Amino acid sequence: MSRLEERYRFVLRLLPAAYRQEWEDDMVAAFLDSMDTGDSETTAYVMDYGRPSLSEVASIVSLAVRLRLGGADAPPRSFAWGQAVRLATLMAMLAHAVMVTASIAVTLWLSGKIAWLPAPAVEWPLSPPSNIWHTAWNLAGYAWLPAYIALVLGHRRVAQAVALLAIVPPAITTAVEQATGDVPLSVSPWAMRLIDVFLLLAMAAFHHGAPPVPRRPWLLALPIGILLVPVPLFTIQATTPALRLLDWPGLSCAAVTAAMVVHLVVRVSRRPPRTLPWSLALTLLAVTTLALRTATLPDYSDQAQRTTLATIASVEVAAVIAVGVPLAVLAIQALRRLPSIPTVAPRPTTPS
Amino acid sequence: MTEPAFFILTALLDAPRHGYGIVAEVAELSRGRVQLKIGSLYGVLDRLVGDGLVELHREEAWQGRLRRYYRLTERGRHALEAEAQRLAANARLASTRLRERRNPITGTPS
Repeated sequence: MSRLEERYRFVLRLLPAAYRQEWEDDMVAAFLDSMDTGDSETTAYVMDYGRPSLSEVASIVSLAVRLRLGGADAPPRSFAWGQAVRLATLMAMLAHAVMVTASIAVTLWLSGKIAWLPAPAVEWPLSPPSNIWHTAWNLAGYAWLPAYIALVLGHRRVAQAVALLAIVPPAITTAVEQATGDVPLSVSPWAMRLIDVFLLLAMAAFHHGAPPVPRRPWLLALPIGILLVPVPLFTIQATTPALRLLDWPGLSCAAVTAAMVVHLVVRVSRRPPRTLPWSLALTLLAVTTLALRTATLPDYSDQAQRTTLATIASVEVAAVIAVGVPLAVLAIQALRRLPSIPTVAPRPTTPS
Repeated sequence: MTEPAFFILTALLDAPRHGYGIVAEVAELSRGRVQLKIGSLYGVLDRLVGDGLVELHREEAWQGRLRRYYRLTERGRHALEAEAQRLAANARLASTRLRERRNPITGTPS
């Protein structure tokens, strides 16, 4: 086996085992044929030192996503995972879209534009964007709103491009600020950017074979979400200073726990095939929020109220685990009852 | 029917072909416009086999590797014919409209 073949077979491991069993050797043969230059010396060199091109690897990644996160015509297990990743992505994007509106409200409050709310505390002065970095940060976050709408309307690539705008400028800002010592080194912004990158990649699950996103409920979820979460939260936090201790990872834990409780109640009255993708999606979100909560804990070490913050964080973690574990168990049991990924085995029609 | 599927079926019309043979024929048929990557080829081919439009014809050893040759089934031929007629009808419609909207004096589109 040449080094090139080894490298190509390594990339093919992205594909499900059952699929590889049927197609791998043929794919390798076709790939090696495509690398044949016609000149034996050059071909021998390519076989030793060549690598699959980026576009070849991308085509395998795309095939792996289609097979593992299947569309409506995929085997039940692959479809369930596909729907789960799509639902989790939509819910996470919705959370971003809903929360950027909250940031607009906070900015208005800090600048004294919302008269009926108590004036902001003196220690929270509104610092106007002092430089281009802050301006970029402020504007970039709002990109989640159009990115979410684009995804719901079926423009996946537009959504990815716009989401990239929401991720890159804040990442650069954080890097510059932490490098220059303007802000203390902290894990939180990086953990959140990493999740954003996962979100960007997860949008690949909205491929051509995926069923279209039901527009009405997901678009309606935007104003409903704004009324349900940031509006009451902002009002309560403005009047009850103690609740300001709820940070973004904490809020994510609370939202995911609440969603899981609602889902478990609804699940009782519905048939498992309909609820399984939701169970899996919420399990994925629970794992993500737990990882985010745990990764951001070290940032509390230099906070004045670190004991209180750590206690709140432990309660958040306990709540997610208490509801998330039973849900995950139910989801895995339901998933096991589904047939696994079958594959079409081509058989010769004439003797070779 | 997607464009790669259309070209793969067309490439298999005259003779059974192996994986890379299909890639090369599709590139030639489309005058280099459709350059199939191996992942994209098999992403379409597995579905065509699953739908019974293409089938395995034979396996042949070549330079120590086993090459699989695929051929078009009768069902695949009908599907391709139907798609070709649909595309031709669409093209005729557009051509007729374009001719109608051509400016009769200058001979250029209005």
